[in-house]
Amino acid sequence: MKMAFSNPHITATAVEAQEFMDLSRRYRVTGVPKTIINDTVEILGGLPEDDFVAQAFPDLTPTA
Amino acid sequence: MPLLADNDAAVLRQHLQPITASVDLLLFTQAFGGSESGPIAKQVLDEIASLNDKVHVVEKNFVLDTDDRTRYGVEHAPCIVILRNGEDTRMRFLGAPMGYEFVPLVESVLLAGTGDVDLTQASIDTLARMTAPTAIKVFSTPN
Repeated sequence: MKMAFSNPHITATAVEAQEFMDLSRRYRVTGVPKTIINDTVEILGGLPEDDFVAQAFPDLTPTA
Repeated sequence: MPLLADNDAAVLRQHLQPITASVDLLLFTQAFGGSESGPIAKQVLDEIASLNDKVHVVEKNFVLDTDDRTRYGVEHAPCIVILRNGEDTRMRFLGAPMGYEFVPLVESVLLAGTGDVDLTQASIDTLARMTAPTAIKVFSTPN
């Protein structure tokens, strides 16, 4: 949510997985929290912020 | 019967006190044939809004308010869209924000009302390189 608030290109949606079973099936949600970025990148579980950003947006993250 | 106990409401009222901007919580629901969670979402939002004068609940009809659905990209109901001073914050909640969803909702209301983002500078720098529309969906369960 913070990322959406701070960047006009990002929209963040929290989905209640049990109520929206069609979406849960579409995105193969077998555990929560599960994060989907642009219908392509999948992150299962919670991550520290820096790790999340690196996994969610690998094209934007500088390589060491 | 309120969802929030009196002592929890008092803590939450204090938590939301730093809000300075107007926060509108648009709630899209479908009265007929819609989810049973719509009224629950409404009660959750009403109780949050009752704790701070700058927070308002605006009900939208998922079937009839098609212009607003298009404007905010709402494809499912119930859906909560958070505005700050009338501007879209791009923060959405699908379903009744109960259980584990409640805290992120409150924190999003606080974020919209204060504008205080506590991301690291590294994250801010990385996100600043973003040029394309990006949709993040986070699935969770109430318990």
